[in-house]
Order: sequence, then C-alpha cells, then structure tokens
Amino acid sequence: MSDYILKTNQLSKKYKNKMAVDKVSMSIKSGSIYGFIGQNGAGKSTLIRLITGLAYPTDGTFELFEKKSGQELIATRKRIGTIIEGPALYPQMTAVENLEAHRLLKGIPGKEGIIKTLEIVNLQDTGRIKVKNFSLGMKQRLGLAIALLGDPEFLILDEPINGLDPMGVVEIRELLKKLNHEYGITILISSHILSELHLLATHYGIIHNGELIEQLSAKELNEKCQLYIHIKVDDLNKATAVIETQLATRAFEVMPDGTLKLFAFTDTPGKVSKILTDAGLIIEEFMPMGEDLETYFSHLIGGVKNG
Amino acid sequence: MGNLIKTEWYKLKKDRSFRFLTLMLLALSVLFPLIEFDNGGPNLPLVKDYYLESILATHNNIVKLIPSILAGFYISAEYAMGTMKSIASSGNNRIKIYFAKLIVFSIGTVIISLILPIFMTGTSAIYFGFEELPAWSFYFGTIGLIVLYGAAFASIMAFFSIIFTDSGKTIGFLLMFFIFIDWPLQVLAAKVPIFEPVVNHSVFKLIYDISIVSSLGGSELFKLVLVPIVTFFVFGILGSFIYLRKEIK
Repeated sequence: MSDYILKTNQLSKKYKNKMAVDKVSMSIKSGSIYGFIGQNGAGKSTLIRLITGLAYPTDGTFELFEKKSGQELIATRKRIGTIIEGPALYPQMTAVENLEAHRLLKGIPGKEGIIKTLEIVNLQDTGRIKVKNFSLGMKQRLGLAIALLGDPEFLILDEPINGLDPMGVVEIRELLKKLNHEYGITILISSHILSELHLLATHYGIIHNGELIEQLSAKELNEKCQLYIHIKVDDLNKATAVIETQLATRAFEVMPDGTLKLFAFTDTPGKVSKILTDAGLIIEEFMPMGEDLETYFSHLIGGVKNG
Repeated sequence: MGNLIKTEWYKLKKDRSFRFLTLMLLALSVLFPLIEFDNGGPNLPLVKDYYLESILATHNNIVKLIPSILAGFYISAEYAMGTMKSIASSGNNRIKIYFAKLIVFSIGTVIISLILPIFMTGTSAIYFGFEELPAWSFYFGTIGLIVLYGAAFASIMAFFSIIFTDSGKTIGFLLMFFIFIDWPLQVLAAKVPIFEPVVNHSVFKLIYDISIVSSLGGSELFKLVLVPIVTFFVFGILGSFIYLRKEIK
C-alpha cells in the first residue's frame, strides 16, 4: 500500500484563456496535515474541486487512494469528508436532520454516529433550531460534522475557519489536531489565515497563479524560515560599521524603519549585544526573531522582500 | 442507488415548498367544490360531470405549473445552498444521482398532480352525493394517465432545473415555458409540416386527450400511454448526460 493518499501528476485546468491550475504535481502523505497556501484566485479551490470530482481536469492525472479513474475513483470519494467553499447545509432542517440527509447520502448504516459527531463539534444541544438560525461559527462546525460523518480517512477542508471567532478557531484547530493524532485522519486544509496553518500543518504546498511553487514539510519550512536578530540602536551607520569590522559579516539588512536584521550570530546574541555596547552604542531594541509562514510565503511569491 | 433515493425522499418530505403546495391543493380540494355546493341549491352538478369539467380540465395546468415551483426549490436550490457539491462529491455515480433525484421529484410531481383528482373528487362526492360517480374504469384510467404525464413533465422540468443553477430562474423559465409553449408548437405544426407529427405526438398535445380517454381506440390509447414513458426516459437520459458533464460551482 502506498504512503500517499493523494498524488497529482501535471494536473491542469484551463478556463477560457486562463490556467486556473497549471501542471500541479503534489503529493499528500497518509497521516499528514497538508496546509494548502495561496492567495485568492491562486487555484486552491479549483484543485480541490478537481480532486473531489466537481470539475474535470483539462490535462494531467491524479491518484486518490491509488485509484486513478472510473468508477473506482468515484467510489473512493466515500472515504473522504469535505468542506468546499463553505459548509453545504439545508437551512430549513435542524442539525440532526442535516446529518441524517448526509448519512443517507453516504449510505452509512445506523443513526448512532449522528449524535457522536454532533458531540465532537459541540452542537449536540441545538435541538429543534433550524440551521438558518445558526451563527456562522455553528454552521462551520456543522459543516465539519458532516465532513466527519462516516469516519473518513481523508478530510478536505477549504477555508474551514472562515467566519469563526478566535475561540472557535482554537476549537477547530484542536479538533483537527485530535482527529489527526488520535484517529490518524489525513487532512488537506486551505486557509488564508497562515498563522493558524503554521500551528497545525505538518506539510505545506504553496500555489501561486495556478502553479505549485513549493512543497515542503514543517521541518523544512522551519529550517528555511531564516532566524535573525532584530536590532535598533541610536546610531545605525556606526552599528553597521561595527558589525562589519568587529563581527566580520555583511549578513545583515537595513530596514526602511531604521532597524537592522542581522542574519549571522543568531546562536550567540549575547556576543553581538556586548560588541555593540562596548562600541558605545545605545541599544533600544534587541530581539532574536524568525520569519513566520506569512513572511516566508510573501517572500516566496515575491511580494515583500523586493518591496 | 437505494441510499440516493432514500436521501432524496427524506429531503422531499422536509421540503417546505412541497409541503406548502400539497397543503394548498388539499385546501383547494376541500374549498373549491364547496363554492359550487353553496351556489348550486337544488341543481348541484353530478360528480362524474364535475370530475370531467372542473377537475380534469384544471389538472392540465396543475401538472405543468405547480411542480415547476417545486422543481426550482427542490432541485435548482441545491446549487445555491452548496449541497449539490456535497452530493456530487459523495462517491456516488452522477448518473445515479440524477436519476434518484428525477425519480423522487417525479413522485413529488405525481403526488401534487393527484391531489385534485383524488381529494377533490372525494369532497365533491361528499357535497354533491355519491349517486353519479365517474365510471371506475374511466376514473382509474385517467388517474393512471395523470401519473404518467406527471412523471413526463417532471422529467422535462428536472432537465431544465439541472441546467439553471438558480431556483428563481428555474421557476420563472418553467412557468413561462409551460404557459406559452402550446401556442408556438401549434404554429410550428401548422407552418412546418415536418414538425406536425412530432407536435401531435408530444406530451404537450396529448395531455389534453386524458379527459377523452374513454372514447379513444386501441392505437390512440397506446400512443397516449407510450409517449409520456418515452418522454420521461429521453429527458431523463439527456438530463443525466448534462449533469454528468456539468462542472459544479
């Protein structure tokens, strides 16, 4: 059995003259949480729609649970739970009725799973309240409950934390971690809240203008996210001269706000501060820092570093 | 396929438009003959005449127009709610999904179509007396044909509902289509001889023959039964093909 739940090979989708997805080759390992990152219109949702069978590729192939095409591929989608561009709910029904409709659709025997799933997302007490009267956060959680119905092996969640309040975001994050750690569910999650993805994902795929520009593990990302020392002193010119002469490095960047980013000596910040102080400089700010996912993403798509 | 039909049936039972339309027609069944009863005095109509002139005559419009509203809310609204995405990505074959939807929508249409012929006949018998009921063979013959034509029109409605992704557009189009289709078809049949047999053998024309079923010969009767069955499958296959190819947004 393959280690991969999903593999795409040069997968492409063209709408009129625009390549919405352009030769994307990505792979999602079993047991991973794959953070799918991209700007609005980058091609995330289109790729998810291709995988879930809502749209058809113009070119390329993909394997889902090692199934490539035909009825077998369609049937493998029973092993998937999805939220695609918002939760799919019947507003006139209650939470239980919504789950019942989806239980019948998926052909899941027995109604026991419905209450269990509602408990997981903390909606077990909604009773006769119709979904049209739910808050956005409740709708998102019900959408997640529907995706979880039938114990799927693979969750595809397109912007699942949209509209949630901070507590709701934390709840969903913890829930997804639990599903991944305790039940071994593989998760593909797209979100524009990169700080959240950074707390969750074990792997990342970065898509831009339809192209997958990078695919890396969380470990690789952490290694790539450059550590630096953020420095603010009373005399910037003197500080750069001291660093160049006494620390013998040019691995720094002068920022427009008059601060310095020193990319060397990150493991010995004490030595740097001593040299600057000994040179008579007054240190106003001094902090070892690292790039976050947002900065890394911005640098990668060329939006910030050259700005 | 069984689970898909169960799902669709579950949704139909919960559909507010279906419940409303059913209740509205039931209320009409009770109240409409009451007006006749109230106005009629000693000259109350015979139930068999009332069935022919008031119920079957009205039925032609009921079977075409009222289910058009249901089609918009029951089928097209799934696109707007996003539930069509979860259905299409549920791991079921799209042709089966379409036919499950069509079968249950047809059942809904047939239920709506049968309310007046069954309940209004019943209430009119209560109001006017049980002496002169329609002949059972005629009555059940017309009921059977209403079922067939209801399913045939449901198939046409489902075909358009799957093309339009908005319930308002679907309802507007279907109402306009069924209100005005007879006239252009008649003109087409008169002006272009090649279309005449097509129009004369269409459900749009033959539905008006239900009330004269007792006077039809063997071949005419066969045609009256066969055409809605063929229509149901032709539009069912066309609709399923469109749904199979359709990208769901």
